[in-house]
Amino acid sequence: MSYLEMRGIIRLYKESGVLANDKVDLSVEKNEIHAIVGENGAGKSTLMKILHGLERPDQGTITFRGREVSIANPLDADRLGIGMVHQHFQLIPQFTICENIVLGIEPKKYSIFFDREKARGRVMGIIKEYGFKIEPGLTVSQLTFGQMQLVEILKMLYRQADLLILDEPTSVLTEQEIKKLFTTLRNLKKIGKTVIIITHKLNEVKEISDRVTVMRKGKVAAVKKTAEVDRKELSRLMVGKSVLYDIERAELTRGLPVLELKEVTLRQKNQDMPLLDKLNLTVHASEIVGVAGVGGNGLAELEDVVTGLRRISSGEIYYNNNRITNSTIHELREQGLCYVPADRLYRGSSLRSSVKENMIITNSRNFQKAGIMSQKRVQDFADTLTAKYSIDGDTALPIGYLSGGNIQKVILARELEAKADFIVFSEPAWGLDIASSEFVYKKILQLREQGSAILLISSDLQEILTLADRVVVMYKGRIAADLANREITKEIIGEYMHGIRGDFEVK
Amino acid sequence: MNTFESSIPLIHNSVNIMTPFLLAAMGGLFTELSGMLNIALEGLMLFGAFFSVVFAYYTGSLFFGVLLGITVTMALSLVFGSITLYLKANVFITGLATNLFASGFTVVLAFHLFGNKGVILFQDLPELPKLTIPLLQKLPFIGDLFINHNIFVYLSWLVVIAAYLVIYKTPFGMHVRGTGLNARAIKSLGLNPRKYQLSAILISGFTCGLAGAVLTLNLGAFIPNMTSGRGWIALVVIYLGNRTPLGVLIASFIFGFAESFSNYAQGSINIPADFILAFPYLITVAALILHSMWKHYRVEAR
Ligand SMILES: Nc1ncnc2c1ncn2[C@@H]1O[C@H](COP(=O)(O)OP(=O)(O)OP(=O)(O)O)[C@@H](O)[C@H]1O
Ligand SMILES: [Mg+2]
Repeated sequence: MSYLEMRGIIRLYKESGVLANDKVDLSVEKNEIHAIVGENGAGKSTLMKILHGLERPDQGTITFRGREVSIANPLDADRLGIGMVHQHFQLIPQFTICENIVLGIEPKKYSIFFDREKARGRVMGIIKEYGFKIEPGLTVSQLTFGQMQLVEILKMLYRQADLLILDEPTSVLTEQEIKKLFTTLRNLKKIGKTVIIITHKLNEVKEISDRVTVMRKGKVAAVKKTAEVDRKELSRLMVGKSVLYDIERAELTRGLPVLELKEVTLRQKNQDMPLLDKLNLTVHASEIVGVAGVGGNGLAELEDVVTGLRRISSGEIYYNNNRITNSTIHELREQGLCYVPADRLYRGSSLRSSVKENMIITNSRNFQKAGIMSQKRVQDFADTLTAKYSIDGDTALPIGYLSGGNIQKVILARELEAKADFIVFSEPAWGLDIASSEFVYKKILQLREQGSAILLISSDLQEILTLADRVVVMYKGRIAADLANREITKEIIGEYMHGIRGDFEVK
Repeated sequence: MNTFESSIPLIHNSVNIMTPFLLAAMGGLFTELSGMLNIALEGLMLFGAFFSVVFAYYTGSLFFGVLLGITVTMALSLVFGSITLYLKANVFITGLATNLFASGFTVVLAFHLFGNKGVILFQDLPELPKLTIPLLQKLPFIGDLFINHNIFVYLSWLVVIAAYLVIYKTPFGMHVRGTGLNARAIKSLGLNPRKYQLSAILISGFTCGLAGAVLTLNLGAFIPNMTSGRGWIALVVIYLGNRTPLGVLIASFIFGFAESFSNYAQGSINIPADFILAFPYLITVAALILHSMWKHYRVEAR
């Protein structure tokens, strides 16, 4: 029996209908560094939250140190010696390092007061014992990301964790900070601790881990000894085998450029690395350009920039040869842009408005007579759309009452009906079942045949390969590859996504 | 009333008048720090005002009047808090509902008990105890500030000290503040943010109950909606006080002074009465503008 055994873990998020973990088994040996990899949404964080008691599994058992345990909340996990650093820092910026570390299990004075001196003493003890250098009196908001990470680790050590879980600890760190972190992890291993680390960076997996579990779509795809796999194989395991949809993409000759990005750069305040680094990209009429990439490499930013939600720092954007750099989303919509966001709940819809209001929200003018809405026209339009897109739900109810998939269909219906000449899709099939996805795909291809230029931003490589004429892969804010969709495979895209291929060095 | 015993009546009265603001704001500070805008202060205070005087009247005891008044107010805050937190209602709506409920319910109950929808006088209530130290209260300023006040004034100061200690010196206070600053972090530690928010609301029920008692027991009467916006001003006081107990104390004093000044000016200065009556509110607006300008400036300067 291994040190940690998670068996048959199932977790369904009822709110989103996502089966985040589907009979997942994970076993970790004592004193190893175990990596977990997988694409965005594969269910890695969910599995770790279950192990740390922040989520309850619907089914499955956890055995730790040979005993079956029930972990109902993080305090239980702490007691067992399981600590976790979350994907996003869970620190209180206005508190000091010391306060953050002891929060929840503070030493007390006269049994009601917080004993600051004792807390500081203990924290200093931990810092010294593990050979770190940091002043516990500093306020967390003054720290660098690397130092914040250290505070998170100290939080675990203060709670005497023996099994340390780190969920994407490196994504916000600089190269030097990552080096330091890895040294720390190796030292912790030396003194007998066990580490689970989630990362998207395959070179890090190779560098730090002893074994690796690959997750894909809520399941475990493989468990390997790190020494026995290379990055290519890992990348292949992550993206999985191809499933083919019953969809034909007609041969079309592409038309004139519709959207052109020239040297588009997006910077963030106080950050050296630009989020988008001199992007050059053209989308033509009758063409679908698919954009792939691992989260955090500039996809979301590209989406924001082309839809006018974020102002670029430098460069130009042209739309039908008109300069539209830094136009607002409203201006762009007036000119003929359509946008189906991934974040449907907050960006795509007004949750408290009714389904029909959401259907006409972008072109309400067409339903007015002398400035007054014609309820009949609105209702007719809504009925047509619900029938055509098989939307399940009362059009008079707030859209927030529909299931995720149906909300998605409402927004798709609205945007597809607008027949714009430039459309941005972000994850168009999220939350849809296979039949609905196929329907949407056919619609998208139909728009292409009608001459629209389409930018398809997606984490689903199969979707991109099914629909796109060209595939653009983003890596670290740049375009790592711009490939015609001929004889390319998921594996090749995956390698570009993880920086295994690519003709440039990253500084 | 006792203004003649004091050398600077304006100051002496300010201290009396600020007490309900101070108490309500001190409880509101807890909810504010726990990350919730508590607009129910007004209604809670009104509940406290009504029930403490009514219970004092029936029991013939100030102590039991205040105790039961606070208990009922805390019960109302418990309902308000539970609906907000566990049924996930919008805190603004439930707060507003609490205020409307308190306003209507106290009048209806008053009518039911005393057959009167207007001012209800309670004649034979015991006197509020006072601290009198004849030697010291003659001292200008110091004497006015600290001596010859009724027991509630001193209680309110104890509340300030207790609030300070709880907020900054106890794990509970750290957790409340942590909840307001980053509830997810609190949750990731296995603590329950809602528990702290509910506790904060209960604390505001406690202090608002006391604040209400100050109003009615001082006056020996209940007047429908007699809080007349004090709960809202208490909210302003929290922000002006920069969300710290000491700041709230100072801001309360400023408002107490403004109202005291307006009372005094009505009798002696030749300014239109409407303007004088509006003075405390003008101060509120001016203070808010200054406060937001100052904040804006601080952000710019960074
Ligand atoms: N609280 C939640 N409510 C509803 N759905 C959720 C919730 N948390 C996660 N999900 C969904 O569950 C799936 C798995 O999410 P999870 O966070 O475990 O993925 P992950 O592998 O950690 O991905 P990433 O690499 O992007 O962090 C996703 O589809 C996500 O949208
Ligand atoms: Mg994750």
